Amino acid sequence: MLLEPELRSRLDRLALASRGRIRGAWGGRHRSRRLGESLDFADYREYFPGDDYRRIDYNLWARLGVVLIRLFEAEDELPLRVLVDTSQSMDFGDKFPTAQRLSAMVAYLALASGERVQVASVPGEDSPRIQGPWVRHTGSWPVVESFLESLQPGGGTDLRAAANHVAAATGLRGASVLVSDLLTEGWEQAIDLLGVSGSGVVLQVISPLELDPDLTGDLTLRDVETRQEVPVSVSDGAVDRYRERVRGFIDEVANRSRRSGLDHVLAVAQPGVLDQTLAALVSSGVAR
Amino acid sequence: MSLLVPGALALLSLAIPLLVLYMLRSRRQRFEVPSVMLWSGEEEFVSAAVPWQRLKITAALLLQLLALAAFAFLLSRPFFEEETLLGPHTVMIIDTSGSMGMENRLDTAKARAIELSAEASDAQLISVVSGGPSPRVLAAFSRDPEGLRTAIESLSVTGGSDELGEALRLARGLATPDRPTTILFLGDGGIPGSVTEPVTNALHVPFDDTGDNVAITGFGAGAGAGETRMFLEVTSYSNKPESVTAELEVDGLSVGSVDVDLDPGQRSQKAIAVEAGPGQVVTVALRDHVDSLPLDDSSAAVLSGSAEVSVAVLGEGSRFLDALLGSISGVRDAAGLPPDVVIIDRDDASIVDRPAWIIAPETPPPGVEVIGVLEFPVITYQRSGEPILEGIDLADLAIAEAQIVNAPGWLSLLRAGEIPLILLGEVDGQRAIYLTFDLTRSNLPVQVSFPILGSRLIDWLGGSRVTTASTAPAGTPIPLVTPQGSTARVTLPDGSRRDLVEGLLTFNAATLPGVYRVEYVAEDGTIVPGPVAARQFVASESTGETRTIAVVDEGTQAAETSQLLREWAPFIAALLLAIVLLEWWVAYGRPMPARRGEGEAAT
Repeated sequence: MLLEPELRSRLDRLALASRGRIRGAWGGRHRSRRLGESLDFADYREYFPGDDYRRIDYNLWARLGVVLIRLFEAEDELPLRVLVDTSQSMDFGDKFPTAQRLSAMVAYLALASGERVQVASVPGEDSPRIQGPWVRHTGSWPVVESFLESLQPGGGTDLRAAANHVAAATGLRGASVLVSDLLTEGWEQAIDLLGVSGSGVVLQVISPLELDPDLTGDLTLRDVETRQEVPVSVSDGAVDRYRERVRGFIDEVANRSRRSGLDHVLAVAQPGVLDQTLAALVSSGVAR
Repeated sequence: MSLLVPGALALLSLAIPLLVLYMLRSRRQRFEVPSVMLWSGEEEFVSAAVPWQRLKITAALLLQLLALAAFAFLLSRPFFEEETLLGPHTVMIIDTSGSMGMENRLDTAKARAIELSAEASDAQLISVVSGGPSPRVLAAFSRDPEGLRTAIESLSVTGGSDELGEALRLARGLATPDRPTTILFLGDGGIPGSVTEPVTNALHVPFDDTGDNVAITGFGAGAGAGETRMFLEVTSYSNKPESVTAELEVDGLSVGSVDVDLDPGQRSQKAIAVEAGPGQVVTVALRDHVDSLPLDDSSAAVLSGSAEVSVAVLGEGSRFLDALLGSISGVRDAAGLPPDVVIIDRDDASIVDRPAWIIAPETPPPGVEVIGVLEFPVITYQRSGEPILEGIDLADLAIAEAQIVNAPGWLSLLRAGEIPLILLGEVDGQRAIYLTFDLTRSNLPVQVSFPILGSRLIDWLGGSRVTTASTAPAGTPIPLVTPQGSTARVTLPDGSRRDLVEGLLTFNAATLPGVYRVEYVAEDGTIVPGPVAARQFVASESTGETRTIAVVDEGTQAAETSQLLREWAPFIAALLLAIVLLEWWVAYGRPMPARRGEGEAAT
C-alpha cells in the first residue's frame, strides 16, 4: 500500500490547480484555451449560418441591427502525466520507495480532482519506457497503485527522451510531474521541454546520505548507473566541497525549473517526506 | 645533557619503516554512489602500477614520529648533572655555638640543611651532628626527610663555643666504608684553633650575617672590704656609639643599674658593689636594648663561699700581691705555718711541695725549662672556655719581658704566638700556675679583672672547684651529688625541667646561658635543693666574627660527590604518554563521521 487511508482522505479534500489555460480532450474544471459550453461569457462574434441560433443576442440585434452570437468559455480536464525515474541511481537508500509514494500521492490527488492521470517511467538507454493507462476518478486508483508497485529501479536514465515524449504529445496541454533525482546528463533540457508542454512540478528526490555523505579516507567511488569509477580522497575539505556542490546543484535545478514555468520541490527521502512535500505543493499553489 | 645508553637511539631507525608504510599506496575501498557527477573535481590521479604514493605529512604521522623519538630517547636514559653538596653519604655538622645566634644564622643554616636533606635521593644517606659545645649525633644514615627535618629543627643556639674538633671526630666516626662520605660543616667557622686545619675531605658552608651587638663579655664576683663586688665588662661590637643600662638583680630583686656608654669597638669594665652573699644568684641584663645577638645581653653568676685558704708569699713579693690577698675573702696569711698555697715570686721554684703560684722564677720547677727571654710579647691567644679566664679579657695586657719556657704537659692559658705566658700544670702531683712574666713589670695588677683572676687562681690552687662549677661558661657540665636513692631534676634557664636518670654524675646539657637549679627527688617524693649553677655566654662568641675553615683534598672528594646524576625519564615518560594519547585522539577520538556501509576491497 503506497498511500495510507488517512493520507488519501486528506488528498480527497484537495484539488489539483492549474496555471493558465489548458487544452484537454475532455471537459473538466479547468479553464480551457478554447471556447465552449460553460456559463462563463467570453465574447461576441458575427453570426454565420449554421450557428446555434439560441446563442443570438437579441437585445444587441434590436439595438444595433447586427446579428451577434454569444461565445462562452470552455472547461477542460487537466491531463496529468507523472514521470517516475526508475534508474539505478534511484536505488539508493529510500529514494525509490519515496519516489513511488510521491508519484502515488500526486496521482491520487489528480484522480481525486477528477483529472485524467497517466503514470510512466523514465526510459533509459537500456530500459524501455513503461507507461500506464490514462485513468480517471479515484475508482481507478488500484490500477495506478499496482502500476507504481510494479516498477523496479534499474538501468540508466534518459530524462530528455521522457520529456520530449511528453512535449510531443499532440492535442494535449496539461501538466506533468517529474519525480527524479536528476543525477544524469540532460536534466536541463528535460526541464525545459516539460515547461514547454505545460505546467508541472519537479519533485527532486535526494537521499540524506547524498546531502551529507559519511565517507572518509581513500576510496574509489563507482557510479551505479554508468559504472564510472572515481578515486577520491575523502577528507574534511573534500566533504565540505561536495556539500557545496550538492547545494549548488539543487539551487540550479530550482532556478531552471522556475525559468521553465515549473514548480520545484526538494524531497529528502526520510520519514515525513510525504507530509512535507504535500505542504510544499499546497504552499506553491499546485494543490489547493 | 648526556645519555646513559646512547645505543638506544638506534631505535630512531624505526622511523624508516614507518615512513615506508605511509608511502605505500593504501588499498582503496570501493563504494557505490548514486552518481559521481557531484564528486567531479575531487578525482585524484592514481597509478595502479606504482605501489608508492607521495608522502602525506599528517598529524598522525608527525605524532607517531614524535612518539618514536620520545621512546628512543627514553630508552637512551638521558640525564643531567646537578650541582649538589650531597654525596652518597653526607654528614652535616651544624654549628650551634653562641655566635650562630647572630642575625639568625642558625635558622638560615637549619633551613639550608633541611633543603639539602630534601634534595637527597633514595640512594643518598644523611647524618646530622650538632656542632655546639657538646657535639652529638642527631641522625645517622637516614633517608627519611621528615626524620631529618625533625632532628635539624630541634637544634637551638647555645651559649658556648663550638667543639668543631670533637664534632669532626664524631663525623669521621660515622664514615661508611662502602660509600664516600662528605662532611659538610654548616656554620660561621667557629673560633680559630677549635680544629686542626686544614680539614681534610670536608666542605664548609659559611653563614656570615652580622649585625650590631653589645655584649656582656664578663661578669663575675669578687669580695673585698667586707662586701661583694661584681665585676662587669660590657663590649660594643657595633659600628656606632652605644649607650646601655645594665641592671643587676640579686635572686630576682633589682639592686641597681649602671649606665655604660661605648664607642664602636670599645670595652667598658665596671666594678659594682652589691649586698649579696654566698649562694645567691646575681644576674645582669642590658635593659631595653635590642641587638643582633640577644643571648649575650644578660649574664648570671652564683656567689660562692670559698673555704679559708692560708697563703704564703716566697721571694720578693709586691704590694700588688699583698693587696690581692687582702681583697680575697677566705684567704689568710700563713703566718709562719705551712701554707695551703705558696706564691713563689721571682724566686727558686725548683722544689714545689704544695700548690704553688710561680711568678717568673729564678729557677723553674721540675719539668719546665727556661730557654730564653721575650721582650714586649704581644698577646695572641687566650684559651677559650677556660673557667679561670671566663669573663676576663687579657688582650690589653702589656708585659715588659717574659721568659721563654719549654713546659711539656702544661696547659697554656695565655700565649704570645707560641710562647706561653700563663700556664697550668702539676709539679710533683701539686697544682701549679706559672706566670712567665714579672707582675711588677706588667700592667696586669692594674687591670680591673686582676682581683677576679687572682681569686680564681687561689681558689683553683686551694682545691676549690665550687666557684668554677657554679659559674662557668655555657657547656660546662654541672656536677651532681645525687643522694642514694634519689634522682636529680634540673630546671633550665628557659623554665623547662629535666628529670635525669639515676646515677648521673654530671648534667652535660648546660649549653644555654642562664641559671640552672638542681634538686634531688627522693623515692618518697621528698625534694632536697641541690646546687645552683650559672652558665655564661662565652664572650668570644659575641664578636660574631666569621671565618672560612681551610679544607684540603676538597676537589678529590667533591669531584665524586658534588655531581648528582638525575635522569629525565619521568618527564619523558609523561611526554610519551601524552603524545600517545594525542595520537590516539587524532586517529580515533576526533569527532568524525563514521564510515558507512560495507566496502568492496579494491585490488
